[in-house]
Amino acid sequence: MTTNVDGQVRDRETPPGLQRYPGWWVVAAQESRDLWVGGRGLVLVLAVSVLLSVVTYLAATNRVLNFLEQREAVNLVLQVAVAVGVLLTLVVGADGISGERERGTLESLLLTPVPRRAIGLGKAAAALSLWFAVFLVSMPYVWVLGRAISLVTTALLVGLFVGTVLAAALAAIGLVISGVSTSNKASLSVSLFLLLALFAPTQLPGGPPKGWFGDALVWVNPVGSALHYIGGVVVNGYGWTHELPYLAAPLLAFVLAGGVLLLAGPRIVRLTGGVNGE
Amino acid sequence: MPTVTLEAKRLTKRYGARAAVDGLSFVAHQGNVVGLLGPNGAGKTTTIRLLSTMLTPSTGEFSVAGVPSNRPAEIRRRIGVLPESAGYPANQTGREYLRYHARLFGLTRAEAERVATRLLAEVGLDGRTESRIASYSRGMRQRLGIARALINDPAVVFLDEPTLGLDPAGQRRVLGTVRTIAERGATVVLSTHTLPEVEEICTSVLILDRGRVVAASSVGDVTAAAVARRTARLRVPAVCVGQVREALAGLAGLRLDAVDDDAGALRVSLGADSDGSCDGIPTELNDALRAVLRMDVPVLSFEVDGARLSDAFLTMTREGAR
Repeated sequence: MTTNVDGQVRDRETPPGLQRYPGWWVVAAQESRDLWVGGRGLVLVLAVSVLLSVVTYLAATNRVLNFLEQREAVNLVLQVAVAVGVLLTLVVGADGISGERERGTLESLLLTPVPRRAIGLGKAAAALSLWFAVFLVSMPYVWVLGRAISLVTTALLVGLFVGTVLAAALAAIGLVISGVSTSNKASLSVSLFLLLALFAPTQLPGGPPKGWFGDALVWVNPVGSALHYIGGVVVNGYGWTHELPYLAAPLLAFVLAGGVLLLAGPRIVRLTGGVNGE
Repeated sequence: MPTVTLEAKRLTKRYGARAAVDGLSFVAHQGNVVGLLGPNGAGKTTTIRLLSTMLTPSTGEFSVAGVPSNRPAEIRRRIGVLPESAGYPANQTGREYLRYHARLFGLTRAEAERVATRLLAEVGLDGRTESRIASYSRGMRQRLGIARALINDPAVVFLDEPTLGLDPAGQRRVLGTVRTIAERGATVVLSTHTLPEVEEICTSVLILDRGRVVAASSVGDVTAAAVARRTARLRVPAVCVGQVREALAGLAGLRLDAVDDDAGALRVSLGADSDGSCDGIPTELNDALRAVLRMDVPVLSFEVDGARLSDAFLTMTREGAR
């Protein structure tokens, strides 16, 4: 539908061969174009590929020296890809609303009839494209390290599945933080601090603390438990259902953050930041 | 009787104890250009944000093109807005930007392309359609913003300071576009601080002060109601100043002061006992002009003080009290 100058609404018939897309799709397509054609996405992915090259080289060298078991080398590269992929997704999400507010471009977007939750969904989808690009870049590295032990398919599938759930959750978290933040700087700082807090336990020397407390820490941490799950499948050769409970935290984060973004979208995607309304 | 396209009833927006807009009521018709005036902080931008559904009113209601305020998405289909200090994505081209917004209004790719091309031509950007917005001047960005506001053929167009920071040629071009929008039948709400613009193109004005409406009528009525006109500025060639003094010397109740003899600028003032008037406006200043013309002195300009909207504005708002 559209409006004539006299204010009467007329139905806009779609001529054969032409297609209309839902608002979230139009937002996602344009945001992705801005991300990739604008060059920001390409630079980030180039940086990721350099990082993966270094990690792969070190892992391969260590494997020859028998320091790192081949499965562990694949796991290392996959975990780096997931970690960096979700980090970038979170950062793009955290810039999604507060960044547009500060650049003055959000108001014109809000003035369209596209529902605000659809705007949030479109932005999340665009942020997620960065994760898929990072995953795509990581594929040859996983193949190089895993082809000799027939681990490539399993590693790529588990990485794609778990990484996508985690990236979607963090994109939604980033957008929610961005929506309620009063400045873009605050949004990016809070998001990065959150990611650091989630990653820190997985990087402790000797792994996470042992015992029930350590287990609980891994279980409630979506990043920690997702990486643990990937490690279980890739390194230990577990079946996909063997450590299924470790997927609970990433899935719960995905459902909760996605739910908040969709349900509270009209209150989050708005002209002013903060949590106290307009 | 033209159709009512915009109606506000006791519209109020409060932030805590402070009312940004307080009990705003007015009606605008199809084809009207309504000038929204007021000092900084008077509530102009808040009014536009309320009527464009960006903010929710604390109390009161409004309708746009017959759609009540409780259906914001439908209202957004019927309005076009050029926000104050609108930002533009620097990496997009003008065409890409308009095409994107057209698609957000539900147009197909082909329709969006057609609309973008037409609007870019209408606002005079057809030579820069493929240039990145980063390379546009301020005037070009404002015109692009106006084109975006027209992407859905809106019934009501809100323009918040559309000529801010533009050179005179840019201002003229934007005002020409505003006039064209109204001629097509849309209602235009024009928020501005440039009062001559309002006098030039607005059919009515709405003056706000501290969130309240202090005047709502035609430009002429608002001006006449606010000001007593007792002086006029006359400019003649400097060599004719003596002739003017001579011509006005014989007129009772008038006083002549030289503002700048060398530039030929003079001020004609009415005496306290002036009584000739038409609708409360003194007519003796006409006698002064007639006397000058009888002497065959070339009049470069003659302007009655207080006959301008700016005088009314200053009288009615706290700006004048400062």
